[in-house]
Parts: sequence; structure tokens; C-alpha cells
Amino acid sequence: MAATLNLKVEFGGGLELLFDNVRSHRIALPAHVPSSRVPDSGSRTPRPANITFLIHWLKDNLLKERAELFVENETVRPGILVLVNDTDWELEGEGDYELKSGDEIVFISTLHGG
Amino acid sequence: MSESCGNPTVESEALMPKKIRFDRSTTCVKCKEQRGCLVIRHAVYCKDCFSALLPTRFRKALEPHINHAPDGPRRRALRPAGNLLLGVSGGLGSAVLLDVVHRTYTTRAVACDGVKGGREHPRGQKVWSTIRAAYVEVAGAFPGMKDRTEEVGEAVKRYEGIEFVPLRLEAAFDPAWWARVGQTSTADVSVDLNAEGTSLLADSPSASTPLDSLRNYLGRLPTPTAVQVAIAKLIRVLLLYTAHATSSSHVLLGTSLTSLSISLISSISQGGGFNVPQTMYEEWFPPGAERATESWRGEVRVIRPLRDVGTKECAAWAWWHALVVVGKERRPAAAQTIDGLTRDFIVGLEKDFPSTVSAISKTVGKLAPKGGTCGRCILCELPVQTDAHEWRARISIRTRSTQSDVPATLASSVALAPLFCYACHTTLTSRSSRSVAPTKASAPPPPPIVQLPVWAAAALSRLYSDTATEAEEIRTGGDRNVGEEVWKTRKLGEDEMRAAVGEFLFDT
Ligand SMILES: [Zn+2]
Ligand SMILES: [Zn+2]
Repeated sequence: MAATLNLKVEFGGGLELLFDNVRSHRIALPAHVPSSRVPDSGSRTPRPANITFLIHWLKDNLLKERAELFVENETVRPGILVLVNDTDWELEGEGDYELKSGDEIVFISTLHGG
Repeated sequence: MSESCGNPTVESEALMPKKIRFDRSTTCVKCKEQRGCLVIRHAVYCKDCFSALLPTRFRKALEPHINHAPDGPRRRALRPAGNLLLGVSGGLGSAVLLDVVHRTYTTRAVACDGVKGGREHPRGQKVWSTIRAAYVEVAGAFPGMKDRTEEVGEAVKRYEGIEFVPLRLEAAFDPAWWARVGQTSTADVSVDLNAEGTSLLADSPSASTPLDSLRNYLGRLPTPTAVQVAIAKLIRVLLLYTAHATSSSHVLLGTSLTSLSISLISSISQGGGFNVPQTMYEEWFPPGAERATESWRGEVRVIRPLRDVGTKECAAWAWWHALVVVGKERRPAAAQTIDGLTRDFIVGLEKDFPSTVSAISKTVGKLAPKGGTCGRCILCELPVQTDAHEWRARISIRTRSTQSDVPATLASSVALAPLFCYACHTTLTSRSSRSVAPTKASAPPPPPIVQLPVWAAAALSRLYSDTATEAEEIRTGGDRNVGEEVWKTRKLGEDEMRAAVGEFLFDT
């Protein structure tokens, strides 16, 4: 069973430039983190997809250029605001937030200054 | 930057694997009812309360400076002396600036943007008779860079009642622009950036267009940092004269708290500490009206009303109000400049220690540099610190104009250093370790001779013609504390000048 989550992913603040200049994407994300991604694959229970996994997946599947402007230290680069269903991801556990179908995730760069 | 303090994210996570980014609960700290959606420096806000908070901070930073005479104990109605000019860059802060100004100060603004809670959005109050937004295109400085004038213009035109004023960086070297902003043209003036003045007699390159002059000016600066700093200074003065020419009493910039902290630290590290107060709030006087009077004489107040609003809040505002953020083009080598490195550091710091960045701006903003001022820098038009002239290096100046509107003696060199502020002098002459490395043999680099921006040439010419009349005063013991060294220098005959310059030649 290859279950997937249907998500809406949007980019703002110039971040869309790294994603083919497309602001809004509908994606089907694997519902579980592939075991190759999990360091201690000894555990049998598959890990549900969270935002950290989404960030990696976006980097591997949608990102067109300059990955260093999106990802840093296994998470988004400082200066990128992430909204989960219109709420600051800091209120939702950040990268640990477990995604569900229908979620809307927004990544907004704040790096374009004044 | 050493590695040990290079990345606050990594270190803090090593110490605290699970960081709590907000205080107490996920309920809004303001209304204490709704669930929060944004964390601002550890405090949680709901969308409604955030939508009220940002304009409130904006007005608190701006409105005490709107009336020409300061308010007494009782607040009076807002009656600015002149028009309003917004300096926009296409960046995030500019987008928020345009939006908040439009909804606060134009009567057309109505809360119709889909954000719930209209009660917090009163209709705008018309405060300024005319509002303009000026954009300075820097693409000319970097061959191949995309010109965004049209896109920024489109973004401005979305706001009814705000007029778009497109400018180009090369206007700084364009006598036609200088005439358009109501100033009298003068001869071109070139300076020799060679700190020791040894290239005194070299020929100036002939710069045929303003764009050539701009590229030559930037191209001869010693470091990428100097280029970034010089561009920012040119933009600032272009905006000031544009404000003056459009009878604007106020210039607003979209500098956010984050950007302000970056520019404060970056500027202090480059010798700009004396002008920190002007970064927080500045009053610029047009030539000929150089002190404050009770009535408005065309001076321009430069205010950053987003200085208490972080980029995160700006980003949330822009997203929730569906603002158009055109974005800025990446400038070549920008990442390696002091400004670029400071930006990475501050943005990284802000992620884990958001209050620290606010503290930087607040602490630095309270700095009151010691020492008086003597006149202003001909390049950036900021105050020059008294006794900041004790520089070992001298810059020589020559004009290459054959026009007769400059007295012939100016064709000799004069010590220019006293006319620059310390920061501008540093920008023009500092060298990175790389640029002093020996270049390949055979072709020596061309002498670093550049044309000065139009306002600097005009300031020199003004000083020079003042000198003719005031030289008499000096001789008769009149008040001569300002620009003394310059006047003395200029009184030297050509032979004496060469003798004086000779001393410096021996130093090298
Ligand atoms: Zn609230
Ligand atoms: Zn200066």
C-alpha cells in the first residue's frame, strides 16, 4: 500500500523563484517516511510524514535551483516563515507536525529585506 | 566571523534539543480568546489582533514626527508641512510600507481584503495631500541584471492615490536629473581614490554617459562591500533630492526591525558609528537652508516606521493581505559583503533568539556619539564629526571640465578628505586583503580616478565660491570654524600646492 497525502503547498516572498516560479502546488506526498530516510530502520513501525519530511521531499522533487536558499541543517533556512493551515508552524511543533490530507503548507521567504 | 559563533542555530539546538518558541499557551496574548496564529518574539497573536498591532506600531514610530513643530502635552491633528515620498525597493518591507500607508492615510482605503475583524480597521484619514512612491533601479550598475521598474510600478499602481516615481541609480551622475530636481548644474569633478594622492597628475578617464560614470565609480571602489555601501548611499541622496523637488516633508522607508539591526551593525563595522542617530531618524536640509527654523523650508525627515516590526511580521502581513512582493535582484557578490554576512548572522540569530535582534536595534539606537559636527559630507550629506579629519590619507581632487563656471584654481588639487565623513572616506579608500594582492604583471590597473555624484560636485563648487567671499573673513579673523582646512588649502597657489602635495609623496 503506497498511501499518499494530498497537500497544497504554496511559496511566497520570492521563494517561488526556486520552484519554477510557481506559487501554488498540489502534491501527493508519501504518507510515511521511507525507511531509507529513517536512521534507525530497526523499528518496524513506519514513521508518519511530517513537515521535516515534506521539506526534504520538496527539495528532492520540486526544487529547481539553489537548494541552499531553501534548506539548511535539515530544516528550512532561517528567515523562512512556515504556515500550517494559516498558522505559524512554531505553534504546531514545527518540523514534527504530522501532516494529514488536505493540509495547506505555506513557505514564505522574509529575506527580501526593505 | 569565527566558526565558534558562526551558527547560532546549531549551537542552541545542541544545548536545547526541543525549543519552546512561545510563552504559556497557544491562545492570543491580546484578546485572550482566539487561538493564536503567529508567534512574535515569544508572544502569540491571533490574526485579528496581529492585524491591529502592526499598523499601531507603524503609527507610533511615524506620527510623532509628522507635524513640523513638535506637539506639546496635547496631541494635535496631523498636518504635515509638505507631501509624502515613500522610498520603495520592491522588497518585503516596501510592500508592507505601501499597504499600511495606503490603508492608514488615504481616504479610499476600506477594509476589503478578506481579513476578518473589520472593527479594527477604521477607514483611512487623509493626512498628506500627495503621496508618491519612488523606486531607484540599480540594474544599470550590474550588467545583465533584470530591470524591475515596470514590475514595481505595477505594484505601486495597485494603490489608488499613490503616484509612482521611477528613478535610476545613474541619475546620481546625470546633470539632466540634477536640473530636474531644481538644482544648478556644475562642472564634473573627479577624485583620485589613491589614498596617497600620487596619481595627482594622471588624466581622468572620459566618462561619456551618466551610466559610464556610475559604472566607473562603482568599478573603482576597493571591495564588494564598498560597492554595496556606495549604492545604498547614492539611493538615499537620490531620494532626498527627489523628496525636495516634490515638496515632500517626509520620506518613509520600509526598513524592518531585522533590516535595521543588520544595517546598524554593518554600518558600525564600517566606520559609520557617528551617523547611527540618523539611521534611526534623520532630518535633511536642502542646500541653502541648513538649519532648523520654526517654519518649514523644504527640509526632509527620513523615517522608518517599520523599525519595530520584524521581517517575520512583514511576511505574515504580506501573505494575509495578498500583497505583491516584487522581490529584489540578487547583486553579484552580495553574499560576501559585510552586509551579506551580517544579514546571515542576524537572520540566524532571530530564528532562535528573536528578542535579541530587537535588543540590538534598541540598544544601538540609543547610542549618542560624542563630539560635535562640522558641516556635512559632500557625498552622503550626513553630518561630519569634528576632528574626524585626522586621517593619514589624503585624497586629491581635480576637475577636468573646460567649462568656465568653476574657478580655475579648483583645477588644482585640494585635500578632499575633510569634506567626507569617516564612513564615506572608508568606503572610497579601504582595501580588502584581496585587492592589495599583487595583480598580474604587465598591465598595471588604471588609476582609481572617479567622477563624483552631481550633488558632491555642486557642494564643492558651492564651497569654493563661498570661499572666495569668505576668504576675506578668514584673513580678517572672522568666524572660520567650518571648513577651515579646505579654505586654507584652496588659498594656496599652485606652487605651494605642489609643495604641500610633495610631502605626501615622500610618505609613500
Ligand atoms: Zn487576539
Ligand atoms: Zn559621507
